[in-house]
Amino acid sequence: MFLGLDRKDPDRIAVIDDSGEMLTYGELCQASAEFARHLTYRTLIFILADNCNGALIGYLSALSNRVVPLIIGSKTPFETLYEIYQPEFLWLPEDRIGDYGLKEVVYATHGYALVRTGFGTPDMYDDLALLLTTSGSTGSPKLVRHSYRNIEANAENVAKLFGLTAGERAMASLPMYYTMGLSVITSHLYTGATVLLSGRSLLDPVFWKRLKDGATSFTGVPYSFDMLAKLGFFRMSLPDLRIVSQGGGKLTEGMWMQLAGYAERKGIRFIATYGQSECTGRMAYLPADMAKSKICSIGIAEPGGRLSLIDEDGNESFEGEASGEMVYRGENVTLGYATCLEDLLKGDENHGVIRTGDLARRDADGCYYIIGRLNRFVKLYGLRISLDEVEDMIRSRFDTDCYCSGDDGHLDIKLTDSRVADRVPLYIEEKTHLFHQKVRVQVVDSILRNEVGKVIEYEEYR
Amino acid sequence: MSMRSIDDIFCEVFNVEAGALGAGFGKDTVECWDSVRQLALAAAIEEAFDILLDPEDIMGCTSYDAVKQIVTKYGIEL
Repeated sequence: MFLGLDRKDPDRIAVIDDSGEMLTYGELCQASAEFARHLTYRTLIFILADNCNGALIGYLSALSNRVVPLIIGSKTPFETLYEIYQPEFLWLPEDRIGDYGLKEVVYATHGYALVRTGFGTPDMYDDLALLLTTSGSTGSPKLVRHSYRNIEANAENVAKLFGLTAGERAMASLPMYYTMGLSVITSHLYTGATVLLSGRSLLDPVFWKRLKDGATSFTGVPYSFDMLAKLGFFRMSLPDLRIVSQGGGKLTEGMWMQLAGYAERKGIRFIATYGQSECTGRMAYLPADMAKSKICSIGIAEPGGRLSLIDEDGNESFEGEASGEMVYRGENVTLGYATCLEDLLKGDENHGVIRTGDLARRDADGCYYIIGRLNRFVKLYGLRISLDEVEDMIRSRFDTDCYCSGDDGHLDIKLTDSRVADRVPLYIEEKTHLFHQKVRVQVVDSILRNEVGKVIEYEEYR
Repeated sequence: MSMRSIDDIFCEVFNVEAGALGAGFGKDTVECWDSVRQLALAAAIEEAFDILLDPEDIMGCTSYDAVKQIVTKYGIEL
């Protein structure tokens, strides 16, 4: 069974969600067997996931029964995905069935239902296990194709790097449709531990009640820690907390030091990690004892993985001081992308090696530091936003030339038509869900390009 | 500071006209109301009224009415 769930202690609690409902490993296995009685063959489903037991049962049952799910947020607009990938079923909250005019409920449990859409059964590559979007919540049609082994390998590696035991109670509050959120869940279930699944915002008292209810670890993205700090986390007594882990973008040096200092004072571990959805969420980590000496480093490859750098001349190196594009090798490197239904037939295109698109520096001790990006993406508030896509959106909607850049806090847009400047941030919010006050617009006379059309990034425009 | 200021902050953060604000305006009715916006709202209020909200009050900023009530607690007359 997926993650060896049937080999865990059946009486042990596997998951507790915000409703307080607990499910044991035995109950998860039963739920999966029941699911298999209603859906007896391999097909494609969409899971409209909240972080709750019903959604988790859908995920584990699908993976255990060779049904391929695409997991998206329950509030993610998915019309485009639906038209392109034509799932035969949806696994969705029961109270949402009416929203889609669907009628044929095949099976329901724990507030979720399996509903037939009318689409047929697609042909899919035999080893295809799971699909996730690359962008989190924007509903972009570009998907990452995971194999069964990818997910298990990630769970193994992550369990090893954190030294997880069945005694863990992991706070799992990152969304399960987000690769790192899912990685937290699968690695702890793989270990036979307990997942505290929460769909509550960090600004919700319920989240804090759950964190204080014996959580042994918390995993967040940079913005989570800004919020935790604001809400007094660093002054709070959390005697059970043993691990604070971060991924999903770069922390500021200030926040890094605050976390490292906090961990030292409390005698707990602060572990920064690095990953991409193309590699099932995690690829590198900085061992906790180096937190104070290797500030803002992503550390070393996770157990089972290998990092290297390719310099400007195309030479690859695995050790010694160097900088260049970072490359990762490991069993958690996914099969590749899908952009259309036919792509679900594709096999392994990456063969265990991926060029990350991140520029990194390696120090003499073998620790890596991210220093920039080859691919034009920014990570903001857990959203991965393609700058090229945003530019295309703006150009096609407003008929203005534009150029996007960004840092860890803002998306910066330069555009030439002052009349549309006010409308652009709201349009970006509508399309990408990025809060419009995090979009900074500057009107410029022209966007300067070189002879091959590449934008010349001047420090200052007139 | 006057009521207008709170209204301005809400209008800016949630991109609505002042007419949309009122008893029904809150986390459960406003679709885009998430933690990023709630924190931006709290930060803007702290700045506008020169106060520092307790964590519980930041968490409590879940509706238009709740925010008004919280601000009053800090001795701000609306």
